[in-house]
Amino acid sequence: MSDAVLLLWPSFLVALCLVGIHAYFGLQVLARNVIFVDLALAQVAALGATVAFMLGHPAQGTAAYGYSLGFTLLAAVLLTMTRVWSQRVSQEALIGVIYVVAAAAAILLIDRAPQGAEHLKQILTGNILTSGTDDLLVLVPLYAAIGGLHWVLRRQMQAHSLIGDLLFYASFGVVVTSSVAVAGVLLVFSFLIIPAAIGVIFADGLQRQLAIGWIAGTAASAAGLALSFVFDLPTGATMVCTFGAALAFAGLCYPFLRGDPRVALRRGLVVMRAAVALLLAGSAIQLMALPRADQPLLDSVEHFLPALRGAYFSASEVSTHEDANEFAERYRMQAEQLNEMEARSRSGSESIDDMTVRRLSSFVRSYSEMRKGEEFVMREVRARARERVRWVAGPVTLVLALLIFPGIAGRLRRAIENRRPRTAAPE
Amino acid sequence: MGVLVAAAVLVMAADARSDDRLAIVTTTTDLRSLVEAVGGDRVSVVSLVPPQLDPEDYQPKPQDVARLKQARMVVRVGLDFDVWFDRLLQQTGIGRRDPRYVDTSFAIAPLEVRGATVGPGDGHAHGSGNPHYWLDPKNADIVTGNILEALVRVDPHNAFGYEANRLAFLKRLDGKLTEWEGKLASFANVPLVSYHNTWAYFARRFRLDFVGFIEPRPGVPPSPFQLSSIIKTIQARKVPIIVRAAHEPERHAAFVAKRTNIAIAVLAASVGALPQATDYLSLFDANVAALLAAKAGPKTGPKAGPRIEP
Repeated sequence: MSDAVLLLWPSFLVALCLVGIHAYFGLQVLARNVIFVDLALAQVAALGATVAFMLGHPAQGTAAYGYSLGFTLLAAVLLTMTRVWSQRVSQEALIGVIYVVAAAAAILLIDRAPQGAEHLKQILTGNILTSGTDDLLVLVPLYAAIGGLHWVLRRQMQAHSLIGDLLFYASFGVVVTSSVAVAGVLLVFSFLIIPAAIGVIFADGLQRQLAIGWIAGTAASAAGLALSFVFDLPTGATMVCTFGAALAFAGLCYPFLRGDPRVALRRGLVVMRAAVALLLAGSAIQLMALPRADQPLLDSVEHFLPALRGAYFSASEVSTHEDANEFAERYRMQAEQLNEMEARSRSGSESIDDMTVRRLSSFVRSYSEMRKGEEFVMREVRARARERVRWVAGPVTLVLALLIFPGIAGRLRRAIENRRPRTAAPE
Repeated sequence: MGVLVAAAVLVMAADARSDDRLAIVTTTTDLRSLVEAVGGDRVSVVSLVPPQLDPEDYQPKPQDVARLKQARMVVRVGLDFDVWFDRLLQQTGIGRRDPRYVDTSFAIAPLEVRGATVGPGDGHAHGSGNPHYWLDPKNADIVTGNILEALVRVDPHNAFGYEANRLAFLKRLDGKLTEWEGKLASFANVPLVSYHNTWAYFARRFRLDFVGFIEPRPGVPPSPFQLSSIIKTIQARKVPIIVRAAHEPERHAAFVAKRTNIAIAVLAASVGALPQATDYLSLFDANVAALLAAKAGPKTGPKAGPRIEP
């Protein structure tokens, strides 16, 4: 555990810092309805750095930063103009055009200077995991200065004048230029939009929205970092998914917090029943029509609950399936052992000649083919069992789905009750 | 006037001479260097991938099709390394049985074979084996053999010249190999970490011990667990050097090196990736020098820096 904390706390501080400024800008971006403006600005900044690189400046130097800043400011002017031009074409469309043209222009430039390819990728991918205290030393003063500037000029910003827009896009460009290099395009977009969206869902005033956004962003960042450590996943992508899950969760909570919780619960149950019923019905129809195809629902239930196979496999099928599984695993282990042996021999006391390497490789290939054979047996056994039971399991599941579907069971009960008195009346 | 005519004749003669040479297209700069070693001044070789790019990730350009159409011979790495080349071959109608087609991985003993199809697992996502086989100088024997065979097929008149070129090159290579092995003998029992599993063949020839990778799956950024376990490995086994190929990203290697306070050796995985690596022989000269320099450098081991306790 101390490992995780030691490795992740700088990233967490950087995430806090990024959430802090981006939640604020996100609220502005949502209010102006220019959602993808950060992608366009980041791409233009990358284009600027590429130009600097082509002119012979070092990749991480001040010249490169100056060029990206200059390009970003130009883009800010362009973006300010888009509002004037956007009478007939939506502003988002023009922002998208700026994005794709900047991206394509960077590719064209990189084509002339291949050494820059990796560099360009780094500007846009970033990795919050490898960010550290030296990033904080740059980010904290910069973001504090920009936050302060926005506080001082808050009147002009809200006036939606051309000067206000220009100030907004220029300062946002500075923020995005530095944050994308640290965290990457995907994560910065999540930092920008998701906490702000959660804030807008639950509150009205800017200050409350901001507070809620900060809390949600902090919690989602901490959860994302922890999940990526525990489940051994790439950090940036995990955090983006956690932010998405946070937004989904907030959406689910909204009706409970904002309306009558009992009504919300009832509606939620209805929707859930409908979803489950549709899922079951779809699976049942697929089982009957295509018993040999993948059955996503059945397959995933079997994956977590292998005992389910016992319910429709015959005894001999169960043992064949288990045997095949065991042998497949054994072949995999044997192939792994051979590969390990070869890898050890590279620097170990006894080296292996090319002839032996070839022999080992052909053994590994055979083991892998044998494993595939066993896997085929497992699939075949399962497919046959499914073909056998489909006309029983399918209709039963279909009826179950009908009963679960909201409204149908009730109507059925009422129909039965209506009929009973009529048949009973003559006696 | 006479001078002009003479100049024109000279230019035409030069043109004629360059037309005489066999136009050959290779996918990588390493193969270009080896084809030049066998073909000598009888061939003019173009490599499609520029040296600093990742050859597994190359996007062909329109001119590449024209180059391929004019080529008397096309040479590729194979083992699923230059998969993008298949599309180009299809476009130009050069099949695998075409006399112009050379896959230099033929008869190579591939390492890390995973079976016929691509599966999960450590290291490369290549089911047919780790494709970086040119980084074992001994494999140049087989590669130049494949090239010689194809050259003799398309240009039988100069067969003896090609064969002599190849033997002379292999002799030089053999001498160099002894030199490199001598220089790297000090790396016996020295554990190393590399950015990615690029150095399997190199390690096997020079008896280097790579104990881990920073990015085990190509293109997927390492997870925090992966990074912390590689840092632990470095500290536990006292790994002195991280090896990174010049085209691989700096960020993660630099992060791990900073955390553990050890040196990074930037090696060339292909001819031209480092300015010193101008041909196949100087590629190994440069790599051996970079490893020795990193070992002799001021950072000698994982001592200072924030420790991560096990």
